[in-house]
Amino acid sequence: MRSSAADRTRPTLLDGLVVLVVLVAAGAILFAFRPKAGNFLTARIVLDNELVAEIPLSDLDEPVTMEVPGAKYPITVEAERGRVRVAHSDCPSQDCVHTGWVSRSGGQIVCLPNRLVITVTGGTAEADAVTG
Amino acid sequence: MTHSVRRLTRCAVLTALALAISVCEGLVPLSILIPLPGLRLGLANLVTVYALCRLSAREAFGILMARCLLGAIVGGNLSALAFSLTGGILAFAVMWLLLHVRGLSLFGVCIAGAAAHNTGQILAAMGVLASPAIAVYLAPLLLASILTGAVTGAASILLVQRVPWGDSGRT
Repeated sequence: MRSSAADRTRPTLLDGLVVLVVLVAAGAILFAFRPKAGNFLTARIVLDNELVAEIPLSDLDEPVTMEVPGAKYPITVEAERGRVRVAHSDCPSQDCVHTGWVSRSGGQIVCLPNRLVITVTGGTAEADAVTG
Repeated sequence: MTHSVRRLTRCAVLTALALAISVCEGLVPLSILIPLPGLRLGLANLVTVYALCRLSAREAFGILMARCLLGAIVGGNLSALAFSLTGGILAFAVMWLLLHVRGLSLFGVCIAGAAAHNTGQILAAMGVLASPAIAVYLAPLLLASILTGAVTGAASILLVQRVPWGDSGRT
């Protein structure tokens, strides 16, 4: 194939345009996915391997507190827009209470005596990595 | 007769070269430096660019297909075939089109090819994972493709200039 591109040795003005197009595309994708990234946070409360409740943290307008039903030691979960914590627990270790607020996707609160795990999911953390 | 044997040999040698390059590249993954899934320099693309410039689009496409298939078998990773095929075909189409555009150099062609390859990979990943969330990786991959495309572009200019072997005027 005869191509003028094959005979050139220096970048041309049009090459700059290609770079510009790629940059604009990258910017557009970044912009399109920014509102969703880290926004759609959900707190999943799992007691003894069973999902007890799911709280959509991003949609909360005012703080929500809930007693986890069926817990061995009474435990109160408090959630507000974008974050969640264990406000009170009757468990002996109190590790869950000391964990404090969790707001990052992938963050966890564990109450071992209650066999309770609160996981914050959403945002961009759906896949850790893709290879290939 | 000699003509077709010559063509076949040429394609076979270039396929072997492309395969060797992509295996070697896999040994030193760029993603160690920059942790981005699917990021690579794309040196095997050099062979595609060379074949597009010095041979024909048909031969270049054949070499690309053979490289992707053999690469998946040699690498023992058949699931990666979907990624390399969609990326490879998209990059091939874009580069083939851009080589017809006057006023572009191989820098632009390779950068567009790298960007198209990454886009194809991400599209395949979105299909495999059935989730659009993976597209967040596309923006940094596109930015990286400007760099990797410029590197392969510079290399392909040297290659195409210095190795006129197979120039259709002289066969």
